[in-house]
Amino acid sequence: MTPLLEVRGIDKSFGPVKVLHNVELSAYAGEVTALVGDNGAGKSTLVKCIGGIYPIDAGTIFFDGGPVAIHTPRDAGELGIEIVYQDLALCDNLDIVQNMFLGREHKRGLLLDEDTMEELAEKTLSGLSVRTVKSIRQQVSSLSGGQRQTVAIAKAVLWNSKVVILDEPTAALGVAQTAQVLELVRRLADTGLAVVLISHNMNDVFAVSDRIAALYLGRMAAQVKTADVTHAQVVELITAGRSGDLGLKNGVTP
Amino acid sequence: MRAGPSQEDIRRHNLGALLRHVHLGGPTSRAELTSKMGLNRSTIMALTSDLTAAGLVREELPRETGRAGRPSLVVRPESARVYVFAFDVSPDRIAVARVGLGGVILDRRETVRRRGVFVLEELTGALAGFARQMRRKTRDDTVCVGAAAAVSGGVRKADGVVTFGPNLKAEEAPFGEELGRKLGLGLPVSVGNDANLAALAEHSRGVGVAVRDLIYLHGDVGIGGGIIAGGHLLGGHDGYGGEVGHMVVNPDGRACGCGSHGCLEAEVGERALLEAAGRFGAGPQGRDAVRAVVEAADRGDIVAQEALSRVGDRLGLGVANLVNIFNPEMVIFGGMLREVYLGSAAQVRTQLALHAMGPQRERLRLRTSALGDAATLVGAAELAFAHVLADPLEVLARANT
Repeated sequence: MTPLLEVRGIDKSFGPVKVLHNVELSAYAGEVTALVGDNGAGKSTLVKCIGGIYPIDAGTIFFDGGPVAIHTPRDAGELGIEIVYQDLALCDNLDIVQNMFLGREHKRGLLLDEDTMEELAEKTLSGLSVRTVKSIRQQVSSLSGGQRQTVAIAKAVLWNSKVVILDEPTAALGVAQTAQVLELVRRLADTGLAVVLISHNMNDVFAVSDRIAALYLGRMAAQVKTADVTHAQVVELITAGRSGDLGLKNGVTP
Repeated sequence: MRAGPSQEDIRRHNLGALLRHVHLGGPTSRAELTSKMGLNRSTIMALTSDLTAAGLVREELPRETGRAGRPSLVVRPESARVYVFAFDVSPDRIAVARVGLGGVILDRRETVRRRGVFVLEELTGALAGFARQMRRKTRDDTVCVGAAAAVSGGVRKADGVVTFGPNLKAEEAPFGEELGRKLGLGLPVSVGNDANLAALAEHSRGVGVAVRDLIYLHGDVGIGGGIIAGGHLLGGHDGYGGEVGHMVVNPDGRACGCGSHGCLEAEVGERALLEAAGRFGAGPQGRDAVRAVVEAADRGDIVAQEALSRVGDRLGLGVANLVNIFNPEMVIFGGMLREVYLGSAAQVRTQLALHAMGPQRERLRLRTSALGDAATLVGAAELAFAHVLADPLEVLARANT
């Protein structure tokens, strides 16, 4: 199976500080790939390189098997790569439909086509079995943290994204909302998208992921199938970069 | 000796098959039915007009198809008219729903149940009372075509008697018969094990649609299960199949209500979690208490974390055994096991990686219930609809008289 998104040999430095060394990552359609690593391991930098926010110093990004050039967030968006950041980038003073179509509104002549947008937003949310939102004309400021996360994720689906990258979607949520977001993440992949989930919570990672990619000090320590590893092995990969036969040898990728 | 099914048998079968498509798949156009069922157009037309005449389905023009040509009529189930009663009896809660053809929950009542007492008279009386209340609110042209109950206990296939239910404190209770009498609708009440029925519900309407081999695990006070193999529920010789809660996962473990030691239920059930977290006896019981432990663990309470991780280890061991034996495509965690799985997935999957065989776990998918708390009720409704789908016209004719 070819990965839908693959990066190979990515290097990235900020001035004299090298933050990514020869990093590889693969994400497959229909699967959740968890990206784990300690603080400062390079998770967010890697994601921002894929999203076209940071230019990469070396390496190649492959999409659907072919090499692509991503220079700006717009390039990433056009390929179908959507990144949901921790701060979500939703507008508090707009309602759910307006947020979901922000910047890509449907028009009928000179006017906005509210009916079509409402119908599409409704369809997307119900397609993801989102039942927590009462009205899609509700202002985003009145939503809970979990509901905001839901709207941000649904937006990615609405725009026909093929790869969705979620940066710590459950970090600020209570248990009940975390459960709902995790189930949504899983459904997203089950509908055929490639999902990359950044998380520090090992239970979240094991609950929904098919593969785990562990970054250690800017290097990809290992990419493994979740079904084949134990909790202890993943923790070792995160904290030491290696675990038994898995991981880095003498600090470098074998 | 007969050469084959008669014309009449074939027609009955086709009517049931068409109704099943619409019941499970929702509104479907005649053209889609033609290709899905592999019958020709005039047969589909004859079948739908029979079902329409009986008032089971209705045909409408689609809103817009976006295609050229005369649009094919859409066949919809008469959800508001044809309904069943679904009952759910669990240790902490009883619920009744009026469910329309097509699986729509039209009305629903529930109340808390006192633990540890089982008085058949009282219980069936309360359930039938709820049903009567809901029936009074229905229009005159509605018709009740069946009734079924999901019960947290072992149900004998032959006569629907609840033979054992340690968590309900039920024993040899002729539950279906008594409820049928109290309802007074002249309809028999089918009875099934709650986890078995929830498994069927997830298989037909939930996360397990199109999955032919799945195991559903239901957590309540105890742990129940339903195993679907090759698209069929594994009922066992007497109907007690799927009692995965009494699989031994720790021979030196805790005493179980069934008399054995270290059963999955004793090691993973509500009491095990609450005791390990030092919260048994004081404060809330049931689902809320389980949620409180998961929440405390999330906030950093180390006692709750320890308890959850121990329970997760045992749950993982149980799942690994099941995976090795049945090679399911999917394992579904329902009831309170949804929270337990999400809160201890690292332990559950670690045990799977250690104890399940490689080829079996390779393509295994672990999921939480999509129907949530409604799974058992939805399952009961499907059981109640089963005989309607087997012979639609006959059942409706009987219900109308």
